[in-house]
Amino acid sequence: MTDVAGLILALARAEVDFIVVGGIAAVAHGSARATYDVDVVYARSPENIARLVKALAPLAPYLRGAPPGLPFRWDAETIAHGLNFTLTTTLGDIDLLGEIVGGGGYEQLLPHSVAMALLGAEHRCLDLDMLIHVKRAAGRPKDLEAIAELEALREER
Amino acid sequence: MPHTIAGSWSDPVVEAYKRDVDRTLLRENLKLTPEQRLLKLQDFVRFLSEVRAAGKKAGLGR
Repeated sequence: MTDVAGLILALARAEVDFIVVGGIAAVAHGSARATYDVDVVYARSPENIARLVKALAPLAPYLRGAPPGLPFRWDAETIAHGLNFTLTTTLGDIDLLGEIVGGGGYEQLLPHSVAMALLGAEHRCLDLDMLIHVKRAAGRPKDLEAIAELEALREER
Repeated sequence: MPHTIAGSWSDPVVEAYKRDVDRTLLRENLKLTPEQRLLKLQDFVRFLSEVRAAGKKAGLGR
């Protein structure tokens, strides 16, 4: 089971610049759909990547679904050479996204995020309009039901 | 016809799904703070995990 609070706090304590997106952002806005991993868009600056590496290193991050023993180094070089990482950690699953379809990277998404008081601190969370926009832009049939719920949520607010 | 969700073809699908959204759940969630919503999710996922473990122990789902 993913420890959502633990993962978000691990990033926050290391002062990582990140925006919560995906299912957890939807839940924070009021969605009733269950979600099992944490999706965040992280800033791609070298300083932030260094903080990200330091934040998750104690949680033994590893490529989710990859066979055990595959060479994977959790370091700044690996993150800098990649973009999006689907990881499993000792606290559960987390997707680290350098960019998302229809939204771009951290800097582009920042104006479309809101500060939410979560777990004793304020964290950036994608706003509802942008959440709907990126889900639509992703073009995945499996998201259609989630989009319907998010739109209903927007109507109920 | 564009094969993207943003395309107009898909709006009727979203609208159809929207009719089945349980708005009472949304209204209940909107009364909570974002933190309370996350803790509620965490409790639910923990419960599901316990149900799965119980099912496995009972030999279900084989």
